[in-house]
Amino acid sequence: MDRYQSHRSLLLKLLSAVLVFGTWEIAGRIPVSYAFPTFLESMAALVRMTFDGTIFVAYAETLKPLLIGIVISAIVGIGMGLWIGLNLKSEWLFSPIFVVMQAAPLAALIPILVMIYGIGLTSKVFVVCIMAMPVIVLNTSGAVRNTPASLTQMATSFLAKDRDILLKVIIPAASPIIFSGLRLGVSAGFIGAILSELKITPTGVGDIITYSRSIADYESMYAAIFSIILLAVLFLNLLEKLESYLFEGNDRGYVSD
Amino acid sequence: MTKITRKLVGAVFAGALAASAAQAETIRIALAETPSDEMAAFFVALDRARANGLDYEWTAFSDEELAIQAVLSGQMDVGFGTPYSAMQRSRAPLRIIFQLSKLVFFPVATKEYQTLADLDGQPILLHSRGGGTDSIANVIEDREGITLGKRSYVPGSSNRVVAMLAGQAQATILDLANKNKIIEEAGDKFTALPMFEVNASDEALFANLEWMQNNEEAVDIFVSALASVWRDMAEDPTIISRETDPDGPIGELPAEVLAGLDKFYTEAVEGGLYDPKGGGRVAAQADLEWYAAAGQIEGDPATMKLEDYWYFAPLDKAVE
Repeated sequence: MDRYQSHRSLLLKLLSAVLVFGTWEIAGRIPVSYAFPTFLESMAALVRMTFDGTIFVAYAETLKPLLIGIVISAIVGIGMGLWIGLNLKSEWLFSPIFVVMQAAPLAALIPILVMIYGIGLTSKVFVVCIMAMPVIVLNTSGAVRNTPASLTQMATSFLAKDRDILLKVIIPAASPIIFSGLRLGVSAGFIGAILSELKITPTGVGDIITYSRSIADYESMYAAIFSIILLAVLFLNLLEKLESYLFEGNDRGYVSD
Repeated sequence: MTKITRKLVGAVFAGALAASAAQAETIRIALAETPSDEMAAFFVALDRARANGLDYEWTAFSDEELAIQAVLSGQMDVGFGTPYSAMQRSRAPLRIIFQLSKLVFFPVATKEYQTLADLDGQPILLHSRGGGTDSIANVIEDREGITLGKRSYVPGSSNRVVAMLAGQAQATILDLANKNKIIEEAGDKFTALPMFEVNASDEALFANLEWMQNNEEAVDIFVSALASVWRDMAEDPTIISRETDPDGPIGELPAEVLAGLDKFYTEAVEGGLYDPKGGGRVAAQADLEWYAAAGQIEGDPATMKLEDYWYFAPLDKAVE
């Protein structure tokens, strides 16, 4: 990728940001609703919450179920995905569970989770896992299953051990799709974390959203929503960096065009 | 533009116009929860209003804030809730027209506690931050000169009853029905602490001022139907179960809920949950003092104008 292209892509990103935030600002100024603040007002609220520390206290609370849930989902999810992908019997056994988990209307299941696990951290971690794990598992197992047979056959013919085939052939070949599953899973996990804070007990960012809505402080409410989206985008970028660090070859062909 | 697209665009516009014309005649009511026994009186009033020529439709939102936002954005005409902070902060010309119920809530605690003052420093279970029970807790602290301990939030009185019965909390604030339930089920463990009287509104009906002035007749019919039901109910709470339309949203609730209507309304009327006069200036004044003390609105309630928050004309006509 040459310099000109990297400038152009940065320019395009900035342009799309200006477009979205500009539309927001205009919609807020009309206003489309009394309950819809402008972009600048919301950003002022975000700055205010950042300086008085509210936002950090809130994230300390929200990140707990989010990170625990995402780490569990990533480790268990990729592990399960590899197993399901390598073993036909376990696919029959487990993949329906994850398909159901993915399709289930989670908000409607929350009362059941609360009944079983109470109103604490456990329920919230579960919500994050239910949101994040299925895509990770299904993507990983699909990617493993679709490893080009010629590659594994070649490895076998070079007398590679099973462990080597898995670590040096299958996982690198499957890694682009595993990582795209991870990215989808992580963004679903963010949705789950906020959903749990809105639906189970209001803590952290969910608390800022519900509280500022109940006192009609809509600027703070949209600022909180904006901050979580921003954090999710940053996190996904980080994941992309991790992918290109671990599997350098994945960059080839996709990004440069 | 081809002929077909022109026709299509025309049809869409005609449809939109027809839809908005139809909407102008039908009052759209935003409920803050799905119909339950607590809303039976409101639906009886709606039936009376319909008999007097009011055309309405209702939508149940999952919470009060959504109902308020729907009215703020003009998708709904009349809403349920107490949008004092929205009225003060968002410059929206919303006004309250009728007090549906008062903030009658009961601090309930294990038997170790006998008065509100005993709750000093004790953790308490409340509905949500910034919500009604939170404001009650603030005012209790204020009046008793105490500081409550850690506040945990569990939405829904019935869920807080479950938490109390499971021993997860020592003190909470419950609505009338759930207070009676917990005392009935576990009166040996829990007690309702003596509480001062509150005249502020828990649920009120509000709408956009301009819309009300443009739809005076419909608003008058609506408010006078409400006032008549609230008045009749104060004399005989059983009219609610008798007048409930068996095919309406309340009539279709489970039989055991319907069987409990008389008990619920008798207790509620005795407990002072409903003002037979629909609130009016007394309620407006009490609300401003209450919500200012609770931190929902800013400023000195003595200097605030009641007319900035309430629109009294329809209720004045109805109670004449």
